[in-house]
This record gives sequence, structure tokens and C-alpha cells, in this order.
Amino acid sequence: MSDDPHEPGIALARAALRGDTLAMQDLLAHLTPYVARICGPIALDSGPDATQEALIVVFRSLRSMRDPQALYGWVRAVAVREAVRIARRDGRAHPAELADLPAPGDPQLAADIRDVLARLSPEHRAVLVLRDVEGLDEQTASRLLNLPAGTLKSRLHRARASFRKAWSA
Amino acid sequence: MTDEQQWPTADLDDVRRLRVLAAAIPGARITERVLPLPADEVWAVMGDLEGEFGRFQPDMRHVRVLSRDGERVVALARSRYGMRARLEGVVRPGWCWLQSRFLIIGMAAAPDPDGTRIALTGGLRVPGRAMIVPFGTARELDHALTRLETRLRA
Repeated sequence: MSDDPHEPGIALARAALRGDTLAMQDLLAHLTPYVARICGPIALDSGPDATQEALIVVFRSLRSMRDPQALYGWVRAVAVREAVRIARRDGRAHPAELADLPAPGDPQLAADIRDVLARLSPEHRAVLVLRDVEGLDEQTASRLLNLPAGTLKSRLHRARASFRKAWSA
Repeated sequence: MTDEQQWPTADLDDVRRLRVLAAAIPGARITERVLPLPADEVWAVMGDLEGEFGRFQPDMRHVRVLSRDGERVVALARSRYGMRARLEGVVRPGWCWLQSRFLIIGMAAAPDPDGTRIALTGGLRVPGRAMIVPFGTARELDHALTRLETRLRA
């Protein structure tokens, strides 16, 4: 028996691909918390819409998935893309929008994540989620978001100071 | 790393989940309605497989639950035309997903600011596949929802 926490999802995806709709509903129950965890902090108030749209893309495109082993990476990429799209669609003004991102472990980030997130653009929120929730390194996160690595790196380099400045303003 | 428990997360209610499955199954339609009633009252009727279910679902005359294991259910359904179906799936408050070789039945209910949003999907299954025969499906679902609403408002 494998201890891989991804194994149940991969097995369900294989069964769903064979046309078993009960496996589809089990896969939906299995993937929903994962997708909601990504879409929530990126899309904020539009999180339920983003989660629904991301899962619709995932389930409609299941057949195009070449390798079920790649399920989670693919689902993550779809969830981030849909969350950014829905957040932009429902975009509200971000008057105090930050140019840079808080560093990992910043005490103010821990104090009120939601308030910090609301000051960021959807793309910046996505970087933060990929780095701090998904544990990706910055290069992988920038690739997934189609951002030049240099751009992301320089933003992150200046992050701490400008984040603190915005907070103390 | 920040404690992820503090990050905001999104909630996907059961009607939204049903929309996902309906969108993923070719031929499937979904019908929704909001009723000014509490969710538990609505589900007491929708989830009553051996009783009310057969009175609002299309072509369903009788359903007998063969086994239950937590949320997992196996049931024998008989249509008005005498056909039988061995349904397997999940039934819990707010959610029902059942399939046989020839049938798919999906139901959901979720709290709404105006009461409870209910949704139905499903129909005749292309045998063994994640696909629904599209002819008349939307009309049947609409009729079922109307029967259900009439029963609940009575």
C-alpha cells in the first residue's frame, strides 16, 4: 500500500476517465479542498466562483490530461489561473495596493493575512499563495504565472521594506 | 512559513458542486430554483429515497434501499414502465449522486439568502459512460423541480 497522499486522487482520476461518474463525484470531493485553498486567498470574496470555475475547467479537460501522475500540478496551475482571472473580472479598486510582496514569516503577514491580501493585486496574491501555501520556490512560481523570474526576484528583494512602509503609513 | 490555517479559504456549497459535475458530463443539464424554506425542511423531502423521491423524480415509481454504509447507498429503482436500475452512490444532507448503467441522478440543496437553492441534474445515461442522452432532459428536470416545489409549498 502506497503512503503517497496523491495516490487516491490519481486512482479516482483514472476511474473517472473510464466514464465512472461516481468516481467523478469522489474526485470532486477529493480535489475541492485543494482547489479552494488556492482560490480562496487569490480571489478573496470571489473565492467560491473561482473554485467552481477552476473545477469546471479541470473536469471538462480531464480527458486531455496525458499523465494522471501529473494531476495535482495540473490542477494547481488551473486553479491559480482561474483564480487570477475571476479576481480580475470582479476586480475592485485597490487604493492601497502594494508594489511588492511581504517576505515569508513577516509578523504582519501572520497578523492579518486577509487585510494584506486585499492590498495586493491578484497576480501578487498568486505568488504569495504559491510560495507560502504551496511551498514552491520563487522560480517555479514565476514560471507557473508566466512572470519573468528576474521581475519576480527583484519584487521580492524589495519586498520587506516596502511592505513595512505601507503598513506603517 | 506562515500557518496556513490563517489563510482565507473558499467554500464550495453543494449546488456549486453539482454545477461542476453537470458541466463535466456531456448532455447534462442542470435546473435550479430558490425556495423560501429552510434547507433541512427541503432536504427531508428531497433525500427521502424510499418515499418522496419516487413522487417527484421522472419515471420513478419505487425505490428500495438495499444497503447503506455511511454516505454510500445501494438502491433498487423501478420505473413506471417496469424497468429496474441498481443505483449506487452517495446520499447525505444536501447532496445526492447516484448512477446505474443507464441512469444518472444528481441533487443538491444549499442555504441561500432567500431560503434554500435546490438543483437537479441527470437523466438517461449513455450506457456505462459519463454522458447523458440529451433529448428531453431539460424538460424532465424542470417538471421534477416543479413537482418538488409544489410538494414543498403544500
